[in-house]
Amino acid sequence: MPLVIFVDDSETALASTRMVTNSMPIEVKQYTEAQTALAEIKAGMTPDLIITDLNMPVMNGFEFLKALREVPATKRTPTLMLTTETKPELKQQGKALGLTGWIVKPFNPAQLKQAITRVLRLPA
Amino acid sequence: MMMLDSIDELLSHIKEVQSDVIELSNESLMKMSNYMEKNELEIDEEIATALQYQDIITQQLSATIEAIESMQKSIEVFSHAYKNDESLVSQNMNKLKEKLSATLQEAKDKKSRFSGKITDETIDDEIEFF
Repeated sequence: MPLVIFVDDSETALASTRMVTNSMPIEVKQYTEAQTALAEIKAGMTPDLIITDLNMPVMNGFEFLKALREVPATKRTPTLMLTTETKPELKQQGKALGLTGWIVKPFNPAQLKQAITRVLRLPA
Repeated sequence: MMMLDSIDELLSHIKEVQSDVIELSNESLMKMSNYMEKNELEIDEEIATALQYQDIITQQLSATIEAIESMQKSIEVFSHAYKNDESLVSQNMNKLKEKLSATLQEAKDKKSRFSGKITDETIDDEIEFF
């Protein structure tokens, strides 16, 4: 099964995404700190999709994305930003860093499922 | 200076109340989501939105806590300068006003940034792919 990792400093945000994805044919791993997820990726974990929050303490979503692109295994891994931020300049910044897409919170469960299905090319 | 001490105490109290609200709100939502997960209840759009509002509430309150901390630091710097040299009070008062205004502006900006789709009805549910 494809591995999808979620990174968000909010436990409740992670719980929401977990409840949306638990019926999907994917393996899900969740992290409250981007640096922990990054350490596991550097240790050999190879996610098929990364969904991350932007505003997080210690390492924010953009810093995480930059670091991911420096690791050979995740240089091209599809990555979605899941955030409350809506500013076009931030979206542009994400696009320039190789972001796959932008989802604004609160997300619609059906749309999130659809996005994961589309990126991973899962049977609809 | 006594007035500034009272303001500082009031700010500390507001900060404490907000931290407690964040903790309680988190705990409440985690209990609800644990119950839903344990009973394998399907999450629909309304429940998902309700759960995510909590995240937004936490971000909004955290941003105001940051603003309060910044204001308290500015007041502390002002009080210190005042104690050292009373002749500088007017100059320092202006600096304090500037810092408090900047903090307030930053807090207002964060209120908008951390609201997601709640305050902007023009944003639809469509996910933007690049």
